[in-house]
Amino acid sequence: MKRTAIAGIAGLAAALLLSGCGASGTPSAQADPNATLVAAIGGEPDKLDPQSTTSYFAFEVLENVFDTLVEPDQNLDMQPALAESWTVSDDQLTWTFTLRQGVKFQDGSDFTSADVVYSYRRIIDEKLANAWRLSAITDISAPDASTVVITVGQPTPNLLSSLGGFKGMAIVSKANVDSKKINTAPVGTGPFSVAEYVSGDHITLDANPSYWGGAPKVAKVEFRFISESATALAALRSGDVQWTDVVPTQQVSTLQSDSSVTLGLAPSNDYWYLALNEARKPWSDVRVRQAIAYAIDRDAIVQAVSYGTAVKNQLAIPKTSKWYTEYAPFSTDLEKAKALMAEAGYTGGKLDLLATKDYPQTVTAAEIIAANLKPLGIEVSIRKPDFSTWLDDEGKGNFDMFMLGWLGNIDPDDFYYAQHHSKGVNNFQKFSNAEVDTLLDAGRVETDPAKRKDLYAQAAKIIADEVSYAYLYNPAVIQVWSPSLQDYTTRSDRAIRFRTAYLTK
Amino acid sequence: MSAESLTAEPATTRFSSWRLLASNPVTVASIVVLGLIIAGALLAPWLAPYGANEINVANQLQPPSVEHWFGTDDLGRDIFSRVILAAGTSLTIAFAAVGFALLVGGGIGIVSGYFGGPTDAVLMRVVDIMFAFPVLLLALAIVAIFQPGIPTTIIAIGVVYTPIFARVARGSALSVRTSPFVQVSQTMGTPAVSILGRHVLPNISGPLIVQTSLSLAFAILSEAALSFLGLGVQPPDPSWGGMIFTAQGFLGLAWWMAIFPGAAIFVTALAFNLVGDGLRDVLDPRQRTIIEARRTA
Repeated sequence: MKRTAIAGIAGLAAALLLSGCGASGTPSAQADPNATLVAAIGGEPDKLDPQSTTSYFAFEVLENVFDTLVEPDQNLDMQPALAESWTVSDDQLTWTFTLRQGVKFQDGSDFTSADVVYSYRRIIDEKLANAWRLSAITDISAPDASTVVITVGQPTPNLLSSLGGFKGMAIVSKANVDSKKINTAPVGTGPFSVAEYVSGDHITLDANPSYWGGAPKVAKVEFRFISESATALAALRSGDVQWTDVVPTQQVSTLQSDSSVTLGLAPSNDYWYLALNEARKPWSDVRVRQAIAYAIDRDAIVQAVSYGTAVKNQLAIPKTSKWYTEYAPFSTDLEKAKALMAEAGYTGGKLDLLATKDYPQTVTAAEIIAANLKPLGIEVSIRKPDFSTWLDDEGKGNFDMFMLGWLGNIDPDDFYYAQHHSKGVNNFQKFSNAEVDTLLDAGRVETDPAKRKDLYAQAAKIIADEVSYAYLYNPAVIQVWSPSLQDYTTRSDRAIRFRTAYLTK
Repeated sequence: MSAESLTAEPATTRFSSWRLLASNPVTVASIVVLGLIIAGALLAPWLAPYGANEINVANQLQPPSVEHWFGTDDLGRDIFSRVILAAGTSLTIAFAAVGFALLVGGGIGIVSGYFGGPTDAVLMRVVDIMFAFPVLLLALAIVAIFQPGIPTTIIAIGVVYTPIFARVARGSALSVRTSPFVQVSQTMGTPAVSILGRHVLPNISGPLIVQTSLSLAFAILSEAALSFLGLGVQPPDPSWGGMIFTAQGFLGLAWWMAIFPGAAIFVTALAFNLVGDGLRDVLDPRQRTIIEARRTA
């Protein structure tokens, strides 16, 4: 569960590929084992320590350098990675993982259970960005070199997705951390190792021939930092770059009809939403919040920000997820909105809408919302500070309404607990509902998947009805690459995996 | 300087200034263009076929057509309407900011130049400090301190152009201070305020008028730059700079989103600049001599 700035390598949902996706081309095409795959990403990582960075740019690179105990497959179900198998005790409180044998770090040292214990202890003890994912854990031990035992305080059905859904839980090497080189020259167990880091320009990875999953099919991967989409697309067309995700949504239709590139679109697990400050009047009145939810033109917002690539959704979890619940209580209905306002005795006034210029879609949507709310007598003034100021204002409750998204959630607990539980750490809108609290607490420990899904469906419906968040849409993951790049697919969790990709000669 | 020229010169200067100005076709054309822009800005609420924030997403990114002369933007808003409605905002900001700079800067300059001595030294050092900052940097700093918006933009641009007016006014006031008619007034015991108002101000008005016109051009550009950076006019209200910022992401798809607000900035800034040049030609004694010589030749 990460803020948009924060990375979102984690996810689930069947990777239903909307269009033009996947490896095309002739199967007989010859792979070039000496090729360098050049990928253009939108910016430079802040640091390369997977456990402490929160930058998606870092995770784009590190996805190819590090491993986790388990990892999501294309359908975002957890599969063995560094752990070969695992068992859960009958009381659901003890998880025993058996590690893969013969795995080595890229510096040649052996990977053992001590590295797993060290990595998790480091996240917990140093209170790193992802410590909350391990909050259920009471003890981690290594009875022998290839076994790790994790004890939890209560049944934790989402432990696997907490451990593997996100590269922030990567297994790191103690020697690498102690040498303080992890931020520039990290050492992992993954398919590629960091060979060169030129700040402001690129990071080059070398293939790891002894990777446990099989040696990669390209010799090197170079991640180049290109923030301008026009530059990135020009580089792709000229052949300087073979892959990029620096693609604004408005370019999708043009790229779809461009036979010189392959477009990868996948529905993501991200969601974008509006939140009203319930610590302030009149937004504390549920009827006023509902009036706004009825006044908003969701179709217009989705079209304007995504050009048809996103999917409208009035709950957080996307259709492609097994946790999806269909529910759409609000339609655009001005009369209903006005009636609710009248009932609440609110005749209109000013609304301070916090957007951020670092995510232009928030400004675009804000302009539509301003127009939508005008007939209700609500004068919207839009602020668009940079994202760090934005986070500051959000944390201080300095807003009437804000728009933002969450990236990289997998488990329903990720989608709802921190945001809507009255004790949730990210409940900046100050929503409080006893029934929702009970349901979310129950969902955390329910081990029967069907019952669990039902608990979250109930909670989510109340959250939507009470407009804790006004959910808007699930965006798509958009990537483009050269037709010479084969065996690469766009994943709905935004993980950029080049471990099996190859370039044709 | 003879006694006749003291009384006769101002009148002839004004008369022939207007005539000289009218004889320069570029200046006349610029004045006409400027008049049209100002009239368009004033009448924009009636001229605009659509509202500035009339969103119609189904109609987004339409190229220029009969219904939408300048096309539509990413939210389906009519760009022609937004461009002419933004003109009012841009011009208001420019006039208010330059007005501020003229009053404050001009005031500082006149006082500084007329009184001289320690007053002059202190005021001019302050002005020098302000001059040391790059224009946009100083404006950005001011906007960063206060909330972005139209009043802040006016103050930011106004403050940035204040030192220029102070310098111009001071330079002119220095030369007028030693003129016989000022010295006569001083010996007659006329209060300083009267001297400044009745003798100094009219005699330094030429350079100030020229500077005002030139500064308006730069104020238009500064406002566009601040709005482009997201610190000037706030969305959803239209501004030329803000429209170009949005257009960046659509350059290959919808050229009209950038071209028309860009052209508006270009034409308006150029018109102010050319009018300023024309005014300088006739109000600056040195330039004027050259023109008159050319005309008689």
